[in-house]
Amino acid sequence: MTDFPILTLLVFLPLLGAVLVGLLPREEQGQQRALGLGFMLATLGVACWAAAAFDGRAGAPEFQLQTTVPWVKGLGLSYHVGIDGFALVLVLLTAVLGPLVVLSAFSAVKERVKEFVIALLVLQTAMLGAFLALDLVLFYVFWELMLVPMYLLIGIWGSERRLYAAVKFFVYTMAGSLLMLIAILYVYFAVAGPGGHTFDYLEILKAAPKLPRATQVWLFSAFAISFAIKVPMVPLHTWLPDAHTEAPAAGSVILAGVLLKMGGFGFLRYAFPLFPRGAFELRTTLAVLAVVGILYGALMCLAQRDMKRLVAYSSVSHLGFVMLGLSAFTVEGLSGGVYQMLNHGVSTGALFVLVGILYERRHTRALADYGGLARVVPGLAAAWLLVTLASIGLPGTNGFVGEFLILAGSWTSRLANAPVIASVAAAGVILGAVYMLWMYQRVFFGKVRHRENERLADLSGREWAVLAPLAALIVVMGVWPQPWLDWIQPSAERLVQRMGDARAAEVGLAPISEPVFAPAPPRAAPAPGAAPGHPFPQIPPNILRQLMRRHH
Amino acid sequence: MSPESLLLIPLFPLLGAIVCGALGPRLGRQNVGTIASGMVLGAFALSVAAFVAVWNGAEPAVAGNWFTVGAFHVGAGLVVDRLTAVMLLVVTGVGFLIHVYSTGYMADDPSPGRFFAYLNLFVAAMLVLVLADNLVLLFVGWEGVGLCSYLLIGFWYEDEKNAQAGKKAFIANRVGDFGFTLAVFALFALFGTAQFGQLRAAAAGLDPSALLHQGAFAGWTLGGALTLVCLLFALGVTGKSAQIPLYVWLPDAMAGPTPVSALIHAATMVTAGVYLVSRLSFLFALSPVAMLVLALIGGGTAAFAAIIAFAQNDLKKVLAYSTISQLGYMVMATGVGAFWAAIFHLVTHACFKALLFLGAGSVIHGLHGEQDMRKMGGLRKRLPQTAAAFGVATVAITGVLPLSGFFSKDAILGLALSSSNRLFPWSPVLLYAVGTAAALGTAFYMWRAFALTFGGAPRSEAAEHGHEAPISMTLVTWILALASIAALVLGLPLEGGAPIERFLEPVFAQAMHALPALVPARETGVPWALYGVALLVAWAGLAGAWLLYVGPGQAAPAKLAASAPWAYSLVANKFYVDEIYDLLVVRPLFGGARVVWRLIDAGLIDGVLVRGTGWFVRVFSQVVLRPLQDGDAQRYATAMALGAVAMLWLLLR
Repeated sequence: MTDFPILTLLVFLPLLGAVLVGLLPREEQGQQRALGLGFMLATLGVACWAAAAFDGRAGAPEFQLQTTVPWVKGLGLSYHVGIDGFALVLVLLTAVLGPLVVLSAFSAVKERVKEFVIALLVLQTAMLGAFLALDLVLFYVFWELMLVPMYLLIGIWGSERRLYAAVKFFVYTMAGSLLMLIAILYVYFAVAGPGGHTFDYLEILKAAPKLPRATQVWLFSAFAISFAIKVPMVPLHTWLPDAHTEAPAAGSVILAGVLLKMGGFGFLRYAFPLFPRGAFELRTTLAVLAVVGILYGALMCLAQRDMKRLVAYSSVSHLGFVMLGLSAFTVEGLSGGVYQMLNHGVSTGALFVLVGILYERRHTRALADYGGLARVVPGLAAAWLLVTLASIGLPGTNGFVGEFLILAGSWTSRLANAPVIASVAAAGVILGAVYMLWMYQRVFFGKVRHRENERLADLSGREWAVLAPLAALIVVMGVWPQPWLDWIQPSAERLVQRMGDARAAEVGLAPISEPVFAPAPPRAAPAPGAAPGHPFPQIPPNILRQLMRRHH
Repeated sequence: MSPESLLLIPLFPLLGAIVCGALGPRLGRQNVGTIASGMVLGAFALSVAAFVAVWNGAEPAVAGNWFTVGAFHVGAGLVVDRLTAVMLLVVTGVGFLIHVYSTGYMADDPSPGRFFAYLNLFVAAMLVLVLADNLVLLFVGWEGVGLCSYLLIGFWYEDEKNAQAGKKAFIANRVGDFGFTLAVFALFALFGTAQFGQLRAAAAGLDPSALLHQGAFAGWTLGGALTLVCLLFALGVTGKSAQIPLYVWLPDAMAGPTPVSALIHAATMVTAGVYLVSRLSFLFALSPVAMLVLALIGGGTAAFAAIIAFAQNDLKKVLAYSTISQLGYMVMATGVGAFWAAIFHLVTHACFKALLFLGAGSVIHGLHGEQDMRKMGGLRKRLPQTAAAFGVATVAITGVLPLSGFFSKDAILGLALSSSNRLFPWSPVLLYAVGTAAALGTAFYMWRAFALTFGGAPRSEAAEHGHEAPISMTLVTWILALASIAALVLGLPLEGGAPIERFLEPVFAQAMHALPALVPARETGVPWALYGVALLVAWAGLAGAWLLYVGPGQAAPAKLAASAPWAYSLVANKFYVDEIYDLLVVRPLFGGARVVWRLIDAGLIDGVLVRGTGWFVRVFSQVVLRPLQDGDAQRYATAMALGAVAMLWLLLR
């Protein structure tokens, strides 16, 4: 079955679901929800199939399970999909969140249920397609396709200022997309594969890094701005608080959980490897903006009175960590950045589910309308606490592993003033605890101040079903992160290698993939000669001598 | 014991936490307490086994991988050496006793399941902290105990004050943890590892003056880099072990139930900083700067907190400042290279301070929540057993008789006097003087507290009707009283050093080997002169307290306070440090956040740039583009013709 087009099935299964839901009678809302949920679960199943078929060992081909179908031959345009480690983990995240989002909206969305389910399914196809596309135009098509259902989700099912938020979201993203489109066209004409001009990613990947530096700076900037809006990076972030605040809970979960990851993924797949010279020119700017985002987003959280807006700004801060990790250009930083994307998807996704659960009961997002809920809804309080801890990166939760790798990876990177940058970023961890615990205290501690809150219902079985998988992921990914990291790491190594090669080819410097310190000893294998049962079986690395060595 | 059974030591209480937390309400009050205590007892039994194994020369260890990426290997291994063995006994031993005490103390609380779940979780995290074989896993325990502290301080969360205190503790600790994590990254950059055994091997025989030419520390000397690392760790120590400048959370932490104060905020968690420095003694010994900073912070904190304790009227607050002060002694000890004395004082302090808190808990329990010493008095008659046990602990901490605290405190002062630091030749004398002054203060405020609580006549309705604690509580206090006395054996100045000094010698051998430049060899023999001074100081404090609070001078404190009101209110209000922090940090942060939000986010970016762009497009289209399309067909035709001509010219040119 190796030739079976798993990825194509994965991408278009939700779309098929959307069509079938469309055929259901309008008044059968239960059926529409159930069918939507069924297709989301089936998609998750296919994603797991793809993960099982994926060969994550070192030395395995980079892009696997590829399918290529010529689309417009004369233009070098084809339907080309394939998967690597980065895409795999993000596809899994998308596939996991899909059914949870549908399930979470069972009672929250009562109007236009059919359209709602269809929008979610189409969005699912668009997101999966964007992760898996290996053709620049195909990617662009899926990228733009994501905009439409999200626009509708905010604009139709959102709260009071939904139109303002929807238009702002659309225009912001569109502005970035156009820059990217121009850059794509430029690359198409500037680069030629063996069969002439092409949009095929793998062909362009071979040729584009050789473009002159000045060109690369412009192309990188065009892609980077488009992706930075999506991440979002300060100062291009102001669409996010509005979009999150006005979107329905399900929309916020998808927005925070997956759509924001598109930005980071874009850097990994396109901006960095296609234009490495441009990336090297601008990486310090990128890293500094990332750090500014960490602190600025955290500071903004302290000023909020609206809990959804607070969570939105916390996303700005968390995604700052992701971008810092990515711009470190070290295996540790990149892996940590990608891991943190997953963490943010899980924990901030869960946080928006929780906020949605509260909103559904009380129809207010103002922190001042709550207080003392821990006694009334202990189950919700416990779940919220766990998610809060993950969000502030407590060791033992997933957030710690990501933050640790990012900070450690950027500390030891070759960014200018890397330790300073990483140290300033680490201060964001303090602020993270301040605003998250502040929110938790204001919602759950103290006495119940509003009589309406006295009779709030605790989590229902369905709500537990939405939260339980996310809670389990928070703990499992914190305690046992290696399986995910093993998927991510080969791709991260390849990217670092690629960047290093481009750098070396350009200036004759040592490639940056040269390890800063000695390679780690193989896992779980005691060094030869170590006495059995000796507490420290590994031979101490001889790094200091290396650090004391003068440059040749 | 098999090394694998090490895993069970933290797993027992973790399992207890899960069971109590998930099934708490269904299990019933009695069962929850029994399960939680039983789990800690199991961990204690295994700890004893581990201690015996270490005693016999073994070093049980299990290796494990947590995550490995690129060059970063973060292990999940556990190891027991002599230092860890001592800590294991303290944590599980005192922990078990306090669990038993809690079954009595929390007998009327509505949510015992939650309480014991948190308490068990704390013990599990603390055990991970002392068992970890690398800094990152240690950090798991380090933040884990902080989390449990947060949850337990705010255990009675319906009072906003308690929740606030919990948050303050967590955030102050986060500031310290910021230093901790940066130090770990720096160690990764220097040595490529965070595992103690590897670090120890790498640090052996290092030349601090060697220059680094590559990596993040290019251009630094090795000593400079290590000093930075150690100072960053020291920041973590000031957070966790409540030293200047981050000590402010500990007094507020008394908002938690009293057994929590005894276990977490006196006996175990707050000593984690001292444990950390001792664990990394081989690194600190290479940095005279970091050692001096630790010594000065410790000494300063010991004296500063003792002064504040003079003017506190809340019994638990007195004990809180006392704890800060005693932790100051321990930190000072590490700073002068007296690592074994720090650990010795950690052990004795765990016994007598836990006892003091539990005694205070029995008083508060017997007085239905009263904590103000001005409303106590005469309780020796109502709570005779508690008074006696509390008295033993007071004797131990003040050192009026040579019980455990006398020897541990004196070991620190003696070693401080015989230490030297080439950066600051006066430090031995200064530290000894400050430490002795703090000892005088300790004797005074502790006997004052004892006198106000148990001496004299009852001063309130509650005090007149106070009742003795149930057997589960008094029994525990008596066991701790015995321990507070018996621990003196560890510190007897025998030939060749105190027993605990000799037991811990291998742990600190490398540090002591690196130290001679810093600290001269200790003088041997019994330091009679120092003992004499210590006894004199302790009795002076006792006499002063008796005179002013029981004897003829009872009017004097009020007169004294009235004669210098500013000085009294300065001390009573804890030197206004909380208010200063609020003014300098908290308010600017939250206020600044709102201003920046309004000005930059909503104002500049959204208002000027985003809306400005929209406004520009609208105005441009209204003013420039719309007039062009006013439906005048003749002008359209003209424009078309001109355009066609222009295109022709372009093409045919």
